[in-house]
Amino acid sequence: MGREAGKGAIVSYRDYVIAAYGVFAVVMLWDFFAPHVAIRQYVRAARQRAARMAGTGKDTGFPLSRD
Amino acid sequence: MNPVVRWFHQLGSPPYFDRFSARWAPVAHGLGLLVMAYGLYGALFVVPADYQQGDSFRILYIHVPSAWMSMAVFALMATYAAIALIWRIKLCEILAMACAPIGAAFTLITLVTGSIWGKPMWGTWWDWDPRLTTELILLFLYLGVIGLYNAIDDRRSGARAAGLLAIVGVVLLPVIHYSVTWWNSLHQGQTISLFGKSHMDASMLPPLWAMVVGTHVWFVGSLLARARADNLRREAGKEWVAKLVRAQS
Repeated sequence: MGREAGKGAIVSYRDYVIAAYGVFAVVMLWDFFAPHVAIRQYVRAARQRAARMAGTGKDTGFPLSRD
Repeated sequence: MNPVVRWFHQLGSPPYFDRFSARWAPVAHGLGLLVMAYGLYGALFVVPADYQQGDSFRILYIHVPSAWMSMAVFALMATYAAIALIWRIKLCEILAMACAPIGAAFTLITLVTGSIWGKPMWGTWWDWDPRLTTELILLFLYLGVIGLYNAIDDRRSGARAAGLLAIVGVVLLPVIHYSVTWWNSLHQGQTISLFGKSHMDASMLPPLWAMVVGTHVWFVGSLLARARADNLRREAGKEWVAKLVRAQS
């Protein structure tokens, strides 16, 4: 980046390029991590449900149910 | 039964899809990242600066692939939604709804990077130009689909309502594509053509095609990962999920 653009004066606009690629990187990182965090949450919830089932011997389906 | 048809039937099974996506999402993400890294290296360090735009033209290497993805993902989402509405295939509902946040992310990148490029080139961050405005409407449509899906408690009803919105929203895609032709637009016309002659110098094209391929492969990884998450959420309480967590612990 920053090579000479012909014979005229060089205008780099480097800050704009860095800002744009920064936005790209941040959004792609979010796109990568968001589903993995969600999967971890659902697996944890399933594990807790399985532990409850093992404790009570049945799954009510409702955490606050008295059934 | 034909093995390909059988595989498609198997893929409709939630436990099979979970195993499939858990296996292939990291592969697609890794491969997409690798191809994008090659494209980004070429875009930032190999191709020369543009004789008029200087380095700012390098923004094109993330702006254009993201813009293409924003429209392609919407078309795919509507296709999945149509299949889900017609044949009531649950997996297609999940895939359609998984497309929405990824498409919204690509649309956001398109709008923000376009705006960052526009400031030095056009002298303004934003203009109510037909291309920019229609792309902004596309973002609102994506947000509408996400909002509608999450607003309805019953996942299947929510997916059907949001899917319908996606199908109706497809009419926007040709408007976005031809906006630079139909109206007098500040946004430049078609510069890069998939099959015809591009107006860019050939030396500048390889990183762009690498980015186009990379974003597509990345999308496959994201789609599988998000669909897996939604599949797990919908199937919570089923025996196969309990077996899965038992096997993991």
